[in-house]
Amino acid sequence: MWELFLTGVDAVMSVQIMILIVLGVAVGIVFGAVPGLTAVMAIALCLPLTYALGPAAGLSLLVALFVGATSGALISAILLKIPGTPSSVATTFDGGPMMEKGEGVKALGAGVVFSFLGTIASIIALMTIAPLLAKVALRFGPHEYFAIAVFSLTLIATLSTGSMVKGLFAGTLGFAFATVGIAPVDAIRRFTFDEPNLNSGFDMLVVLIGIFAISEVIKVAESVRSGKNAAIGSVSMKSIKGFGFSMKEFFGQIPNATRSALIGIGIGILPGIGAGTSNIVSYIVAKKRSKYPEKFGTGVLDGVVASETANNAGIGGAMIPLLTLGIPGDAVTAILLGGFMIHGIQPGPMLFISQGALVYTIFVALIVSAVLMLLLEFYGLRIFIKLLAVPKHILLPIILVLCVVGAFGLSSRVFDVWTILLFGLIGYGFVKGGIPPAPFIIGFILGPMAETNLRRGLMLSDGNFVGFLTNPISGAFLLLAVLSVAWHVVGSLRARKNASTELAQA
Amino acid sequence: MKTIRMKELAIGIAMLAIGLIYLAMTMQLPDKGLIDSAFVPYILAGTICLLGVLQLLASRQPDVGPLTTEEKIEAEAEKAAGASDYGTVAKTLGLIVIYAGLLNLVGFPIMTALYLYVQFLVLTPTGHKTNHLAYVAIAIISSATIYVAFRYGFDLMLPSGPLFNF
Repeated sequence: MWELFLTGVDAVMSVQIMILIVLGVAVGIVFGAVPGLTAVMAIALCLPLTYALGPAAGLSLLVALFVGATSGALISAILLKIPGTPSSVATTFDGGPMMEKGEGVKALGAGVVFSFLGTIASIIALMTIAPLLAKVALRFGPHEYFAIAVFSLTLIATLSTGSMVKGLFAGTLGFAFATVGIAPVDAIRRFTFDEPNLNSGFDMLVVLIGIFAISEVIKVAESVRSGKNAAIGSVSMKSIKGFGFSMKEFFGQIPNATRSALIGIGIGILPGIGAGTSNIVSYIVAKKRSKYPEKFGTGVLDGVVASETANNAGIGGAMIPLLTLGIPGDAVTAILLGGFMIHGIQPGPMLFISQGALVYTIFVALIVSAVLMLLLEFYGLRIFIKLLAVPKHILLPIILVLCVVGAFGLSSRVFDVWTILLFGLIGYGFVKGGIPPAPFIIGFILGPMAETNLRRGLMLSDGNFVGFLTNPISGAFLLLAVLSVAWHVVGSLRARKNASTELAQA
Repeated sequence: MKTIRMKELAIGIAMLAIGLIYLAMTMQLPDKGLIDSAFVPYILAGTICLLGVLQLLASRQPDVGPLTTEEKIEAEAEKAAGASDYGTVAKTLGLIVIYAGLLNLVGFPIMTALYLYVQFLVLTPTGHKTNHLAYVAIAIISSATIYVAFRYGFDLMLPSGPLFNF
């Protein structure tokens, strides 16, 4: 392990990769900070840049974007009281009031430092848990992979925001789109309409760019003409020592930060929910455990620390299932999976054996990105604040062009440009219909995995489905999948019953 | 409240329609026994249809109480954002279609500059002064920078069009 780690250090310390990480973190911070731009968009736009790079350089750039964008959202959450991404919603609760009280620099400094600590804690968890889990996963066969895919799909559909029916629909529809092209095992062409471009199905990256980037551009077009720019608060960095808060305040936040990091890592590992949920959960827990819960929401440091530690702690957490099982937990790790595949790398337990050096290069790149995020985000704050003022009607068309370049660059065909438009429209339809897009993506990615392993498993057990239930790991995951749906259904029925009772009493 | 329920009904109809279309397409696949390439699509089509029916049933149920938290957030967000400007959405979609359709023929540098300029105009906020000179300059510089960076920096063969035929 130590040797692999040193190999990773050696790879990342090259001039090219260091420059890419600096750029990745800076661009990521901007995408995180500007409301409407997301980490997925940042990675989608920078993917074409990695086509010509090697796997180590390309993946280092992508993880740097991930780290930067997750943390960058705190800038607008504190200065504008608008979270740059859903991962910093809870940061606005106390970050905004702190800004109004003239403690903006302290809030920003604490946010940046505890984002850094959350990231580092999650990387330690990743480096500890991932190799162990990969060893276990090496023994998995088709039965286990099918069951894990089904479990992940149901968990994502039930945990996503909105109704379970819509979540399940999105996941199933994503799976249905994944059936386009040549079928596994017997190689029958399905739903291709004799269009040769569809023989290999829809490219995952094209789907991701369409669903998350193009739909966002269309959505913003709805309101950009009537939109008013929010007032950007100003902060003075003069006579600021360190990161704007005292050592006493720092040590006072350690229990809160530790708890929030654990929440962030735990939620990050679960498929379907990530930083968007963990920041709110850890904020609520911090408030409940606080000696002064009534002060939460009025501008206390604890709120900013809880939210920012937890959201960044999700980074390492979300990468655990991605690297060990090849299962992305959310949209950002899904697009990272696409980045891996561009370079011919299939995440999964074998990655730790066949590409051990690359895995540790990613770990080191994450650590370096976290350190650079700490320095760039705080000391480059003035530049990032200026970028918040770039008008959306200029920025979004340029982003769209970069999306087109990314799609075209995959196979040098305009067909992929049409495809991003198609999935952009589907994504926009989801937004209007209140259907969560994450299950669609996960269904699209895990669908082929589930189908291939189902058919392989059935071949192994001579067409007998019982094999999936008698296998202990497979059976346990399928049971968990049923339980997760049942739990959600019971919860919904109970909520409905309570609402009826309240209405009857009123 | 009624609008929300109508919307949910429309979503249910759309879900069911998608399920039925997918089922019809699945039925066209060659039949090679129980476990063949149509097996999973049949399960998916059935699931989508079932979910569509569940959504329709949910939308037809009488209101049981005040708006859910989710509905409240949705309503507040819609109120805060103001009325949706679907005209701008349609124009934007039209421009993207034209851009994609003419990309190969006209070439990336010219088509991108044209698209960017017109899209800037379409998205310019009401009451915001339109600076044509700045828009043209940003469109040309952005298009040229992206083209040169990807064509020569990253070896990505973007369609050059007639500009480089002379």
